[in-house]
Formats: sequence, structure tokens, C-alpha cells
Amino acid sequence: MTYTVTVEPTGEQIEVEEGQTILQAALRQSVWIPFACGHGLCATCKVTVLDGDVKVGDASPFALMESERDDGKVLACCATVESDVTIEADVDVDEDFKGYAVEDFNATVTKIVDLSPTIKGVHFSLDNSMTFQAGQYINLQLPSCDGVRAFSIANAPSNNQEIELHIRKVEGGAATTYVHEQLTVGDTLPMSGPYGQFFVRDSQPGNLIFIAGGSGLSSPQSMILDLLEKGDQRQITLFQGARNQEELYNSEFFNDLADKHDNLTYIPALNDADDDLSWEGFKGFVHEAAKAHFDGRFANHKAYLCGPPPMIDAAITTLMQGRLFEKDIFMEKFLTAADGADEHRSALFKKI
Amino acid sequence: MTAAKKLNLKQKYQYLTRNMDWEPSYQKKSDIFPQEDFEGIKIVDWDGWEDPFRLTMDSYWKYQAEKEKKLYAIFDAFAQNNGHQNISDARYVNSLKLFLTGVSPLEYAAFQGYSKVGRQFSGAGARVACQMQAIDELRHSQTQQHAMSHYNKHFNGLHDAPLMHDRVWFLSVPKSFFDDARSAGPFEFLTAISFSFEYVLTNLLFVPFMSGAAYNGDMATVTFGFSAQSDEARHMTLGLEIIKFMLEQHEDNVPIVQKWIDKWFWRGFRLLSLVSMMMDYMLPNKVMSWQEAWEVYYEQSGGALFKELARYGIKPPKYQDVANAAKEHISHQLWTTFYQYGHATNFHTWIPKEEEMQWLAEKYPNTFDKYYRPRFEHWDAQHKKGERFYNNTLPQLCQVCQVPVLFTKTEDPTSFSHCDTVHEGERYHFCSEACGEIFEDEPAKYVQALLPVHQIYQGKSGGPELPQVLTDYYHINIGEDNFDYVGSPDEKRWNEIKGIKPLNKDTDAA
Repeated sequence: MTYTVTVEPTGEQIEVEEGQTILQAALRQSVWIPFACGHGLCATCKVTVLDGDVKVGDASPFALMESERDDGKVLACCATVESDVTIEADVDVDEDFKGYAVEDFNATVTKIVDLSPTIKGVHFSLDNSMTFQAGQYINLQLPSCDGVRAFSIANAPSNNQEIELHIRKVEGGAATTYVHEQLTVGDTLPMSGPYGQFFVRDSQPGNLIFIAGGSGLSSPQSMILDLLEKGDQRQITLFQGARNQEELYNSEFFNDLADKHDNLTYIPALNDADDDLSWEGFKGFVHEAAKAHFDGRFANHKAYLCGPPPMIDAAITTLMQGRLFEKDIFMEKFLTAADGADEHRSALFKKI
Repeated sequence: MTAAKKLNLKQKYQYLTRNMDWEPSYQKKSDIFPQEDFEGIKIVDWDGWEDPFRLTMDSYWKYQAEKEKKLYAIFDAFAQNNGHQNISDARYVNSLKLFLTGVSPLEYAAFQGYSKVGRQFSGAGARVACQMQAIDELRHSQTQQHAMSHYNKHFNGLHDAPLMHDRVWFLSVPKSFFDDARSAGPFEFLTAISFSFEYVLTNLLFVPFMSGAAYNGDMATVTFGFSAQSDEARHMTLGLEIIKFMLEQHEDNVPIVQKWIDKWFWRGFRLLSLVSMMMDYMLPNKVMSWQEAWEVYYEQSGGALFKELARYGIKPPKYQDVANAAKEHISHQLWTTFYQYGHATNFHTWIPKEEEMQWLAEKYPNTFDKYYRPRFEHWDAQHKKGERFYNNTLPQLCQVCQVPVLFTKTEDPTSFSHCDTVHEGERYHFCSEACGEIFEDEPAKYVQALLPVHQIYQGKSGGPELPQVLTDYYHINIGEDNFDYVGSPDEKRWNEIKGIKPLNKDTDAA
């Protein structure tokens, strides 16, 4: 049995399985709740239950007082849920998060485009309009796959009857293999959304850096289209990483866009093009391209990263060495089943 | 009508901290906070300070009051039920003697230190965090003394902890550690105590003592540990915040912070050698070996931390490899030293029993049987001949960490890593290259170190002879607090409690 836990004041929702603690579920679903010891002793993860049935679990009587228990406080690292629940945690409301409601849709495939040998662009029309923030993702239910899969939306929110996804074929991945081999135009699939905390923070000043790897171009594409449509005047620099020219997709599209908009700079980087004489662009990893372009100094920018974990990791290191820090960096990691959880992490960083 | 938006914890906390602050109008900020600049740390914008925790004063009083009510109820029950009778063995109490004289006064020193730096930052967020921690530290000092006070009624060596902390030769190791930190600037103090000690090394102090208490039936101390844990979590987050804050504020701060991390990692490591000896030798029921604890809490956790700090350009502590290699040696080197000076300590010493030596050999397969068992066997044989070995020359103390010069070289565990230097015509001695380097960086500070051995030789510690030093100056009761555990009044009392007949001296393995 799975219940939904809503985390106020952000309104983020997580699915919590029976017997699973709220903290376990939240961390697995990338929802940040402050925590430290993880086993009921330190009280860092104390939250207030606003609604629903929660079992306190094995919280130390010194970490969670009787009076606090009476007031509906629990420790997220020990508490399990017995109904849908709303809690209030010590998390900051993101003033740029619009909190559009998650809804269910029937999505019909209208077009499938070969973007690269491993990435398909899949276009859906929706049976109803979806209001979302550029950068957010949807969950897609694919036939013969357990559970849903998350994919970032690549189109701008202004077109809210359509959803464009970039789907890379993951070796041995049931869902992406299905998309690449069996999905056809006209198929209708259950879709829900929008989800996620990856969007441009309009309230925060500073020029924008986007770093995208592989099919992680989807979110930045949506975000940049949205910014340009809205006439945003900030300088925007998009770095797109791929292995080789075949894998580098939509580059003509972004070259054209950069020609039309003075505030957009587009820099593709190929990390496996040493022998490619026809490639005149940057040779190397995408974070190296960013470092070279900005001469290793990123201060006063805001960076948005989207792609596979190793790319994100390398990009964060480069940005931080160039004096850009956690509060300036936003990211969407494309995790697959092959990406293990980080075993040993310190509490130094919250999100990165 | 629109309802007022509910404040979240962060906003509430800001109202109660930073928004209570004001811009001075008739005094210069640099006069009000005179210590903020001299260390070279550059702060561009205090608004970048992220409050490490958001505990308001009213909820702090409420939680701590309830916690303490609970804690003291357990202390009372412990005393009424003669809880001391349920510990594993009276040898365990010697760990408490070390804790009460070596650690609890540090909590008080931390209270003083945080009170001081809680006045020195121009950023209100940092001031409030330090003031809150100051209160925690005062409470910890008090509750620790109360937790252990019951033992003082039944065992020796616990009767004058604050005085001993100030005077007894080996207790200058913890004392000088905090004196060094407290006499530094506010940013170095927080790097030393909040970051290096409370975050990086804290599990190597608290886990051994609190788990040691649990494994040895000491409910009072265990309960103190639980009551302190929620405070410790806050202290750790302050340590992380100060480091992040300094590193993010200005790149010129990076080399200064690196130097402090190098220094305070090493200072902490040297201080914790006392814990290593407690874990491997003083606990009758052992929790884990020092080596195991070091691997889990430093090599793994610290490794993960320094991997992430690398993003700021911070490298692991300079002498980390020396500390890692020393994990197989330090507890043995320290206990063999204390055994030789068992006449000058406020706790008892002993030769490990055969089953304990087997445990040590198992935990330290590369070193114990090869280097350390032969020493114990030799001393044991001498003792059986009626020639218990006491070292009657006083040890050379390291000018920086104040541990006797007893540690050995990484590549050769049979020669000391002693080194020395001449500064303004005087020769100074160090236990290691790392301590020597700390001296070289601030010689004017460390030439002032009050070394207990020098004090004795200068006749400033109660008199010319050791018995006078021990009795008059250290308040150690000779024949009660010191010497071997076997034959001590502590042992006699424990045997009476447990109804054990004194062992025949000839068959006594210990």
C-alpha cells in the first residue's frame, strides 16, 4: 500500500510505501527535508503532522518530547504513514515555484523524430491542457513496464496542449527500449504532471548558464524557449555536450536561435571528436567548454544543469572552482536504474 | 480581505535574529567588532550566512527543560537504585575519571569560547548561533558532572576534576587544546571547534565514550549521551556552515581555512589519542577498536567530506596520512606510557588480562604481538618479582600538543618522531613534524605554553618532590587514586559490592 505525503510549505508530494519512513521516501524522491543522524536521535528531521495518520516509530524520548508528540510532531526518519498525510517541514518555499497542480492526462503520440542514433523526440497531444513551468517533467506510463518513468518536457509552456520529450535508449531499459522499438504514432498513454523543482528562478538576478548533456537538452530547451518568448534580457549561454556530431542534436536549431537573439550564445562540445576533421567546434567535455568560455570565472551567474550524473558532477566542480556555489546552481539529474545511490555523503551540501 | 501569509520557520527565525540587529550610528562597526578582520578572513556580505538551525529561544527553553527533567529523573533513579553496582567492572570507572577531568572541563571551555566569539561577529546570524551553542556547552558541562557525581560517592579519583584539569600533567593535553583555540581569532575558533572538532572528529569522542557507557552498564552516562545528541546535531551544522561561509565569501579565505584545517585536524588527532587508549585498554567491555573507529569515522566519513570540500579547492588535512598510519599504534603507545606513570595519575592503570591481549592481537594483527605485547609481558614479569616498574623521570612534553614525546615514526615504530627547533636562542621539542610546523607558524604563541613538566622542574607545582606535587598541587590522594587497579581501594570496594573474595596474589593474572 502506498500513500501520498504532501510536504508543506512547498507542496511537494512524495509516495510513501507501507513501512517506509517519510525521510527515506523523501530522499529517494529528491525532496529535501533537513536530517542528520537518520535514526531518531538528533531531531534534525522534526516535522509537524497537519493532517492524516502517522506512526511516530522509534524516536528517542530525548529527541522528541512528550509535549511535542502531543502537538503532532514526528521525526521524519522514524515516522511511517497509515493514510495520505500532510506534513510541515523546515524547508524554504521557493518563491519562483508556481505549484501548478499535478493532473492526469491521456497523451497521444503525434510524431516520433530521430534526433540522434540513440535519442528520439516524441511528441504527444494531450486530451486537456497542462500548465507547467519550463524545466519540469512528466511521468509516463508505458505498457509492460512497472510503475511510471519520468521525462523532462522539451517544449515551451506556451504550447500547453502538446508535450515534447527527448528519450534516450538506455541499454537494457524496458521503458526506453519500448519507446524506441514499439511506440508508434497514434498510441495513447497515461501521463501525469507537471512535477519537479527545476525551473528558472526569475526572482534571482544574474546571467544564465545552461549546461546540458545527452537527452538532458530537453529541459534547457524548454527553459530557453520560454525565456526568449518572454523577452528576458539576461545573457543566456547554452553549453550542449555530446559524444560526436551524430549524437549532437538540435544544434542547427540553436545556432539559428542564437543568430536571432543577441542575448543567446550557443556552444556545443564534443568529447569524442578528436579524429573528426569536419568538427570545428569545441573538443572536450561540456564542463571544459564552460570553463574555457568563461575563463574559469562564473561569479554572478546562475547555472542550470541537466543530464547524466557524471556530467552534473563534473559541471558542479568546475562551477564551484570558478566561485559559483550551491545557491547559484540548479540541476536535474537524469538517473537510470544503473545509477547507484551515493553511499558515503557528508552533510556539506543539501542538493548538489 | 487577504489572510496574512503564514511565516515559515526561516522567516520567523530571521525576525528573531537578524531583524533584531541594527546598524550602529555613533560607533564604528570596526570598533564594535574589533576581532573580525585581523585573521585575514574576508567577509563580503554577512547576508550570505545561512542559519545552520532555526531554534528560537522560547522553544529552546521549553525543549531543554523537558529534556533535563527527564534526564535528572533518570539520574535520581540511577542513584537510588545504586546504579554503579550494575556496571561491568570497577575498572570501567577509570574511563569516567578520564572523561570528567579531561572532557567535561572542555565543555565549559567551549561555553567560554562560544560566549566570546558570539560577541565578535558583525553578522547577527553567526552571533546568535554561537550564543545558543554557548548555552548548550554550559548545560553539557553541568549535566556531565551530575551524571558522574554519583560515582564520586563510591570510587576514588573523581573528587576535584576542575582543579585537576588545570594542573595535572597529562590533562594539559586537552586543556591546552582549548586554550589554543580560545586564544585564536573568532574564525579560527569556529574552524577549530565547530568544524574540525564538532563535525570532523566528534564521533571519535562521543561514540566511544557513550557506547562505552552502554556496553559497560553505565545508564547515567548513556542517558546523558542521548540527551546531548540533539544538541550535537546543531553543533555539527554550525561547523559546516562556518566553513562553507568562509570559503564562499572570498577566494582569499581558502588558503587560510586550509591552514587551519591542517592544524586543527592534527591537534584534534593528538587529543583523541587519549580516547584511543580508553577504547582499547580502559573499557572492560570493548565497543570497537580505535583502528576500527578511525576507519569508520575518519577515513570513510572524513573521506566523503573532503571529497566534497575539494570543490572549494580544499585538500584533505596535510598530515592525514600520518594519522591514518598511526591508527595501529597510538593506543598502545599511550597506555604503555600511562602504565609507566601510573603513580602520577588520578586513575588506575593495569596490564591487560590475557583475554584482552588476545583481543588486541586480533584487532591489531600487524602491531600488537610484534611491538607491544612483549612490553606488557616484561613489565608483568617484573611486577611478579615485586619490581613493578614506575618511570621516575618526567617525560619531555611536546611544545604544541603537550603529549609526552612518545609517538613513533610512520616508517619505523621503534623510533620516536621527535623533532626540535631553536627559536630566539631557546630549543623547543615536538612530538612530530606536524606539531613542529604548527609552532613554526606562530612561535610567539607557543613559546608561552605552560608545560606541566617544566613547571614541576621549576618548583612551581607544590614542591620539589613528586609526592608533594601529587598531593599538594594535583590533589591526587596517593594510594587511593593512583597506582595499579589491583590492590586499590576501588577494587576492594567493588569486590565487596559483588561479594568477590580477593584473588590470591600468586594466581592473579593481571
